[in-house]
Amino acid sequence: MTLWMLVLPLLGAAAAAFAPGRLAVVGAVASAVATFATSAFLAGSGALSVAWLPALGIDVTLDPFGVRSVLVTTAALTMVPVVLTAARRPVDERRRYLTALLLMHTTLNGVFLATDLVLMYVFWEATLLPSLFLLGTFGGRGRRGAVTKYLVYAITGSFLMLASILAIVPLSGAASYAFADLLPAARALDPVVQTWLFAGFAAAFAVKLPLFPLHAWLIDFHRENPASGVADVAGTLYKVGGFGFFAWAIPLLPDGAAAFQPILLPLAAATALWGGLAATRQEDLKSMLAYMSLSHMGVVALGVFSLTPLGGSGAMFLLAAQMLSTGALFLIAGMLHERTGGFDFARYGGLAKGAPALAAVTLFALFAAIGVPGLSNFPGEFLALAGGFAASPWLGGVAALGSVVAAGVYGVNTYQRLYQGPPGERRADLRASEVLVVAPLIAGILWLGLAPAPQLERIDASAQIATTAAVDPTAVPPHAADAAEGPERSPASTALAAKGGER
Amino acid sequence: MSDPATWLTFAPALALAGAIVNGVFGRWLRAPLHGLLASAVALGAFALSLVAFVALLGREARSVAVPLWDYLRAGDLAVPLGVMIDPLSVTMMLIITGVGSLIHVYSIGYMHDDPGQSRYFALLNLFLAAMSVLVLADSYALMFVGWEGVGVASFLLIGFWYDRTANADAGRKAFIVNRIGDVGLLLAMFLMIGAFGTLTIQEVNAAAVERAFGSELLGLIGVLLLVGAAGKSAQIPLHVWLPDAMAGPTPVSALIHAATMVTAGVYLVARSAPLFAMTPFASAVVAWVGAATALVAALVALAQTDVKKILAWSTISQLGYMFVAVGAGAYWVGIFHVVTHAFFKALLFLGAGSVIHALHGEQDLRRMGGLRRLLPLTHATSLLGVLAIAGLPPLAGFFSKDAILVYTLTSEHLAGYGTTALYGVLLVTAALTAFYMFRWYHGIFGGASRMDAKVEAGVHESPAVMTTPLVVLAAFSAVAGFVGLPAFAFPNAIKGWLQDATLRGLVEVPFAHPSAAVEWTLIAVSVVAALAGLAVGAWVYARRAGAPVRRLADGPLATFARGGMGVDGAYRAVVVGGSEGTADGVAVLDRDVVDRGLLGLGSALTLFARLAAAVQTGFVRTYAFAMFAGAVVLALVLAWTGVRG
Repeated sequence: MTLWMLVLPLLGAAAAAFAPGRLAVVGAVASAVATFATSAFLAGSGALSVAWLPALGIDVTLDPFGVRSVLVTTAALTMVPVVLTAARRPVDERRRYLTALLLMHTTLNGVFLATDLVLMYVFWEATLLPSLFLLGTFGGRGRRGAVTKYLVYAITGSFLMLASILAIVPLSGAASYAFADLLPAARALDPVVQTWLFAGFAAAFAVKLPLFPLHAWLIDFHRENPASGVADVAGTLYKVGGFGFFAWAIPLLPDGAAAFQPILLPLAAATALWGGLAATRQEDLKSMLAYMSLSHMGVVALGVFSLTPLGGSGAMFLLAAQMLSTGALFLIAGMLHERTGGFDFARYGGLAKGAPALAAVTLFALFAAIGVPGLSNFPGEFLALAGGFAASPWLGGVAALGSVVAAGVYGVNTYQRLYQGPPGERRADLRASEVLVVAPLIAGILWLGLAPAPQLERIDASAQIATTAAVDPTAVPPHAADAAEGPERSPASTALAAKGGER
Repeated sequence: MSDPATWLTFAPALALAGAIVNGVFGRWLRAPLHGLLASAVALGAFALSLVAFVALLGREARSVAVPLWDYLRAGDLAVPLGVMIDPLSVTMMLIITGVGSLIHVYSIGYMHDDPGQSRYFALLNLFLAAMSVLVLADSYALMFVGWEGVGVASFLLIGFWYDRTANADAGRKAFIVNRIGDVGLLLAMFLMIGAFGTLTIQEVNAAAVERAFGSELLGLIGVLLLVGAAGKSAQIPLHVWLPDAMAGPTPVSALIHAATMVTAGVYLVARSAPLFAMTPFASAVVAWVGAATALVAALVALAQTDVKKILAWSTISQLGYMFVAVGAGAYWVGIFHVVTHAFFKALLFLGAGSVIHALHGEQDLRRMGGLRRLLPLTHATSLLGVLAIAGLPPLAGFFSKDAILVYTLTSEHLAGYGTTALYGVLLVTAALTAFYMFRWYHGIFGGASRMDAKVEAGVHESPAVMTTPLVVLAAFSAVAGFVGLPAFAFPNAIKGWLQDATLRGLVEVPFAHPSAAVEWTLIAVSVVAALAGLAVGAWVYARRAGAPVRRLADGPLATFARGGMGVDGAYRAVVVGGSEGTADGVAVLDRDVVDRGLLGLGSALTLFARLAAAVQTGFVRTYAFAMFAGAVVLALVLAWTGVRG
């Protein structure tokens, strides 16, 4: 099953690129649906390991363990409506759209599934390309600047991460780049070394998250992306910075994480607040969604940097949930653009009279996005904030107050500016093809919102690995125990363990 | 599911199904069908509540837990979902679905010519579903689902006629103010997770009574719960949304903003009774917030001229009464007042709705008068409602209000927190209530007509579908108090019914037991207060002898009160202005500093930016590919040396 997660979208991309006529569209849609259908069985399937460059200790190892399967499944579900939307582009554009999207899906699954650090890095960089391609080819007037900014941020971060990746094996003496080999070796590193290595990872992950004040690229990215919203959703799936911290940097370098927590936790709270506040004052829908997304990422970061199982699990769940809710909102924004030709709120108002179903769907997605319980984002947001609160009551409390209230404000304000007030020009209601686009997302939002426990249980398995060493050095996984008991027992992790014990 | 009491579990699902049918398929249904379907759903839920009520009456152990499915699971925290069927939740369900059914039926008449009927009835059923979840929940997490759910339904129903910006604004305001309260509830839950490791209500209560009496932790949790309760129940300082909420259709005001949703805060405190019983400090804050709200809202109600706004401020004031009761530790008394208030306040709102309906939308007291002859049934039932809320024996309001006064004065739980002063505030409020309700009654029904001749000619009594609910509610407003006769001399049914469900035998709340003579005196005092309020009202408004007082109504003091004592204005200036200013600052900073500043931060970065911009002149694709290939090659080379070294 695991390998199919890469093969299926890749086949789809090939079909989209080379198949004649309508067959290209059929192949692309079929691959998206098949990827999702297959991903449903991912959780139980085993890891895959193929030797790649044995001399370097680099292998193709893919493992759907824990949080990885949850993110892959949710992303695959989100890709179905994205591909359906892209299939409705004009003939001359849709081939390129579909190819880029499905390539991105392939590499994204690679990022989520790779358990070899170098392989993860390769996918990490590769995912950037299709996303840049869409922005650079079909983006708005300011796309040049947006691409440049995106590149500068991403490459600077990636370069520093690369340095850490390259240093971690020689420094720790690990047998290979596989997560299982790195885990005991890297955890045994001196806290100072860990801190420097962590800094390299943090540079890449914090930019990708994005974390305040490294988020400028995100706003431009969404503002300049093509109006249909498909590229924005792709970008939303690609918010893998939080995953990088959670699945790689924190478990491998717990002392580094502990050393950075006093910096990262406040920045996370600031991101949640900053994004939420800015979102309340935007004058166009896409900018609002961009800042909303930034605020969500602040909550994700808060959960991750809380270094608690509660917060980490919540953060990863929110990462999956926001794919559906934010994704739905970007696609709806595309539908609205199709009707009015712009994103400025000034163009809108009173649309609910003529388009009640579209209004209902928008409100549903907005409520999901602002964390109304019973819908997808709430379990993640709740647990992430609870984790942040456990780590620091003041930061967690302020982030909760700011982001939750701000979400209420931008949520209902946006709805009012689009749909309420005196009816203006009448616009078409939701079409059958659009129902098909939003239906999977609505189903997914309800699925994650009403019964989050099965996904949370899977995520918890990863959270245990991510946080055990950080809060309790005696509870590291068995194969890492020998290395952790060395004489250079880090004071940072002991101190943190004591703190954890008090809680 | 062999236990009939557990059938109540299906009530939320039933209501939700009704909402979905009307919401999705409503456009293909014909006019009265929407209302009939929604009413049938509400009545069905009421039947389930009755079954549960009867089933619980006949047994000793009256608490039935129905586990549902797992909800949250992370680290050491597990939050299973479940339903708690006990006298407290069943009492609330009887009110919600019973009064709810009457209001559904009434709405068929009230909304008969509205084009948005399917949406209206879908939302009404959605509200029932969310409210049922709120009161049936066995954990704070599930309660929060219902808690925000009713907020969503309330938002949509206040702004039901959304093409008028003012209505949409009112809905927005309600949602946002409620969200502020909800953060209090969230933070309380975070504290519970940290301290008790659970969100299941009875586990939290059981763990709370193990803590030191009056501990800081319990006090903090109690105060945070109060913040949530104050948002939902419109208590100072989060009361500002409720008067605006009158923008919604009048039956909505009756159901959500008088009888049920706004009492959720009282229910929350009663549900957490053992926890509050362990913290006199938080209880005192609850009581004093309630008392201040009761008095201030009654004063503001004096000066209102809109028939619905008077009732809205009156609701805020009565909710304050309930807060004092649960703050004083008399949890069953607070719920008793929830019950009687649901009857007479729903009655008053529906009566006002009948008047507004007859006058084609007129809501200003100054353009009414003399309607007692034209609307005989509305008049008779409304009069009964006025006397009930004024607290005249033997109507329902008298017994619950008197119980609150007595228990506040005799509370030893609040010893040292000014029980006598609380009693005094409530007594003054009682007199004011009788006064402004007489003004309301007389302005609508008494004296001579102040209507346009054209409007007056078109006035007609409402149809039976609207007056029947009025009669039923009037009957309950008359007799509902008898379940809670003063316990010192009479049989009291509701105390025994609710006491165990709130405190659960975990902890006792102490009250002084005055002699029968004192009890009788207290009753006499509260009757005198009510009569005095009514008499002064009659003297001022009916006898036309109170010219000086009426002149006061044109003065600056009245203008100040009419505007809600400037709270709204202060909020707009300080809170809204402040946060909008901050948000504006953030938005500008983000655009002008973060966006540009970072690129110019270090010379290396700047160089990189120039470099990128230069290469960028060509094909993005080529460049990106070169970047990627370069990185991979670099990685492989460095990795090679790394492994070898």
